[in-house]
Amino acid sequence: MFKLNLKIALRNLWKNKGFSLINIGGLAIGIASCMILLLYIVYELGFDKANKNYDTTFVAYTNMEANGKVNSWAWTPGLLAPAIKEKFANVVNSSRSSYPYPSLISYGEKKIKNRAIFADPSFVKILGFNFLSGSEAQALQNINAVILTQSLAQKLFGNENPINKTVKFDNTEPLTVEAIIADLPENSSLKFDYIMPWKLYEKKQTWIKEQGWGSNFCLTLVQLKDANSIDQFNATIKNFYTQNDKNADNELFLHPLAKWHLYNEFENGRPVGGKIDQLRIFLILAICILLIACVNFMNLSTARSEKRAKEVGVRKAIGSSRKALISQFILESTLLAFIGTVIAFILLEISLPYFNNLLEINLIIHYNDYKYWLTLVGLIIFTGLIAGSYPAFYLSSFEPIKVLKGFSLKAGSAFSIRKVLVVFQFVFAGCLIVCTVVIYQQLNFIKAKPIGYNKGNLIQMAAQGSLQDRKKIELLKQQLLKSGAAQQVSTLSMDLDQGGNNTSNVSWPGSNPKESILFNERGIGYDFINTIEGQMLQGREFAPEFKADSNKVIFNEAAIKAMGLKNPIGTVINYGDTKCTIVGVMKDFVVESPYQKVAPTIFYPAAKNSIGVILVRLNEAKNISSSLAQIDAIVKDINPNYPVDRRFVSESFEEKFQDERLLGILSNWFGGFAIFISSLGLLGLALFMAEQRKKEISIRKVLGASTGNILTLLNKDFIKLVAISNIIAFPIAYIIINNWLSAYEYRISISFLPFLIAIGLSVLIAALTVSMQSIKVAKANPVDALKYE
Amino acid sequence: MIEIKNIEKYYANKGVKSYILRHVTTSIKQGEFVSIMGPSGAGKSTLLNILGLLEEPTYGEYHFMGEDVTAMKERQRIELYRNHIGFVFQAYHLIDEMTVAENIEAPLLYKKIPGSERKSRIADVLDRFNMVAKKDLFPNQLSGGQQQLVGIARALVAQPSIILADEPTGNLQSAQAEQIMDLFKKLNQEEGITIVQVTHSEKNAQYGNRILTIEDGVIKEDKATRLE
Ligand SMILES: Nc1ncnc2c1ncn2[C@@H]1O[C@H](COP(=O)(O)OP(=O)(O)OP(=O)(O)O)[C@@H](O)[C@H]1O
Ligand SMILES: [Mg+2]
Repeated sequence: MFKLNLKIALRNLWKNKGFSLINIGGLAIGIASCMILLLYIVYELGFDKANKNYDTTFVAYTNMEANGKVNSWAWTPGLLAPAIKEKFANVVNSSRSSYPYPSLISYGEKKIKNRAIFADPSFVKILGFNFLSGSEAQALQNINAVILTQSLAQKLFGNENPINKTVKFDNTEPLTVEAIIADLPENSSLKFDYIMPWKLYEKKQTWIKEQGWGSNFCLTLVQLKDANSIDQFNATIKNFYTQNDKNADNELFLHPLAKWHLYNEFENGRPVGGKIDQLRIFLILAICILLIACVNFMNLSTARSEKRAKEVGVRKAIGSSRKALISQFILESTLLAFIGTVIAFILLEISLPYFNNLLEINLIIHYNDYKYWLTLVGLIIFTGLIAGSYPAFYLSSFEPIKVLKGFSLKAGSAFSIRKVLVVFQFVFAGCLIVCTVVIYQQLNFIKAKPIGYNKGNLIQMAAQGSLQDRKKIELLKQQLLKSGAAQQVSTLSMDLDQGGNNTSNVSWPGSNPKESILFNERGIGYDFINTIEGQMLQGREFAPEFKADSNKVIFNEAAIKAMGLKNPIGTVINYGDTKCTIVGVMKDFVVESPYQKVAPTIFYPAAKNSIGVILVRLNEAKNISSSLAQIDAIVKDINPNYPVDRRFVSESFEEKFQDERLLGILSNWFGGFAIFISSLGLLGLALFMAEQRKKEISIRKVLGASTGNILTLLNKDFIKLVAISNIIAFPIAYIIINNWLSAYEYRISISFLPFLIAIGLSVLIAALTVSMQSIKVAKANPVDALKYE
Repeated sequence: MIEIKNIEKYYANKGVKSYILRHVTTSIKQGEFVSIMGPSGAGKSTLLNILGLLEEPTYGEYHFMGEDVTAMKERQRIELYRNHIGFVFQAYHLIDEMTVAENIEAPLLYKKIPGSERKSRIADVLDRFNMVAKKDLFPNQLSGGQQQLVGIARALVAQPSIILADEPTGNLQSAQAEQIMDLFKKLNQEEGITIVQVTHSEKNAQYGNRILTIEDGVIKEDKATRLE
């Protein structure tokens, strides 16, 4: 029986090629979409979990109160790691490390700029890297040692054995390669290419040894014996800073390493989600797409199975038991689901590289993981059961005579189930259209919002090597301007588009000592305003003709507003230990998040501190690529030991939109797929209905109905369904998208447009798909259909 | 062989019961060839379906080979049906997706008859109906008469003790109808298979040995055929 049924199932598939194609195709796209999303979710959930002790390791966070709110950072004092281990028995291990920073490492003539970190020996033990050569026990003990990742070792040494060879860090420090570790997985929060001893860091950065409990400059990892009682432990260590130094009023808490990536937003010093929320959206999307595809599959299979009601009747009339019929239908739909899944895999393999490229991540299918196969088999059986259940259990339950007597004609109830399913699909599609449009609008809104400076044609270069020397920078500036490649050149203490140094150690006439304001602090060079094409609102910027600028400062608008100064120019303030005079007010410009208000910022003259980057405004009158070549040549000439490290500000600024861009891309693509699958379902349904109403239509035509009349008749029902779906979808979409928008300080207000687009698009799609099918029937010669009745 | 007592069948529509069969009582003996006649809508098909276990009476007793059918579980009823009853429809009701041979094979599969025996039985039947050349064709590639022959072959292949046929020749030309009636007669006389057929044609009814006339759900007349 099984063999015959299988044969018949295949024959059926082949006979109704169009139908099978729609059915299997929809399912395949659905499964493939769901899989891609699930792969992405698994990838994100796997962040930092490759580390050996990830479940007992915590990241130390510092809560710092300023501007009336608590800021939480994974920056801690250097004193924390040794002290916390000594004080608490629960702490198995603790380590300090710097954050990865691209730095020069060289072997012979090979000079590579790669991400470097400095870390305690315990860092390696806590995270448990995979040592390919060298020993973990001895790692980072020696001050002149370095651990390389496999790919960096490959780049530096090729096929040579790197162990015990000497490399040079930053062109100055000779270091012995003591171990090679496997490359870190793509989904690690801390990504670096080589590790150097913390002791070396202390030697190079002499200021570190002088830092107390109020200075947060390193990452501290803590491994606990008992990770379950973390809440209690956090309560114990809350005031650890103050206990060590009564002037240090920041608070400490530990955040699980496994949650570092996904739970990255904090309010009032407590984690409140973050990336995980976006991930949840994707999970819902994945489930819904699969459901839509299943619903579709079910709809189409059942639509066709009614055509086969007769077969059910006949089979019963020749002695088939119910069980045999049920297994036959389940077999058929499982077969379809199986074929669909196989095609889904082919689609997945084809599209993965594209998505990886688009999302800038690296998703792979773990073919050798049994869980994967289990999920897959589960998926096939689940889909097969759902889709096959209706014909299997419903049709087979009838007395054979009932089905034989033209059951399909009065299958009103089944049709209404199908209507509900179509409505469900289009509710989902409608929601997706609205959300996608709003996300798109919001992204455009933010991108179009003035950021306070001109990021186009602006490059920033790291000031390193010889370029840390001010005289050399001055020389560079002269040469760049003279060459005509650059229009303006200035400097800044750190990247123009990165957060970083801040202080609350500022007071002014009328300031409230109880209320601290957190100021970003930046050192700016001459011609800063002209270089970034920003704007001074009052006063002036720093300039060489003013000799005594070293105790002058400039504030931005936001700072003046927060301080409540009426006439800022000339006001004397206390900045750290020195008295400074305000000489100008700069228009706000976006530094960190373009979605949030600009933070209060204090600018001091570059001469007071080290220079981070050199900003170059390109000469627009000249060809960009030849200007860049010119600039590179000049930089190389002045700073020969370093590769030229320059980036367009507009490019690095673009990274700020990565999360939203990702959301936009995914919702666009998968929203599109969901809509596509839904319309496939509609198409199949229309196909079926037109078939079923062939006789009715023919009779109507004999009675004088035009093709137009018939089309209206057939379309009316479907359009009605789509309209109902939209009405249900709109409030749901509104709630979801409003919730999403509320996370942004700068946001659009929701207009009618997305809803109009949703209505227009879904009605258009429905009308198109239904007409495409029904026009054939409407135009057919009526006699053809009647002859066979 | 068949014993029915006070069979009733009605459909309730909006609270109004419309009776199709009323107090139908009769018995059919092994080896009989019975024709059921009557005007359209009288309830002939309904009665035949009930006899064939394709439909259940609303009320009444039904004994098939001495066993009480109404008290049976679905499983037992299917067993009974598989082993003893062959049904032939006016609209043939072949499975469109199966070839002639597969259509004939299907009941044997449900009866779990082993493969070798299936093959020989199918070959036998095909041979007997002169359809060997057509065994790999699909129903829509056959004429109406040929389709009905397949329908009968399918009913016969399971070697039933009774054949129930609802207007088996209703859609056929008289020459084809005659061929089928001759076949029924031969089956009845040579193999002793009990046959119950519904027909509108006086001529076809004469092939049998007994005529039951139904009007408005009631048996009006029960007589032997004249030509015996
Ligand atoms: N599902 C049903 N619901 C209500 N009434 C029904 C149903 N099925 C059949 N009937 C009614 O039962 C009556 C008998 O039907 P049946 O098919 O047995 O008649 P028949 O004698 O075989 O007629 P014909 O010679 O035209 O085939 C008819 O009046 C019909 O309207
Ligand atoms: Mg009838």
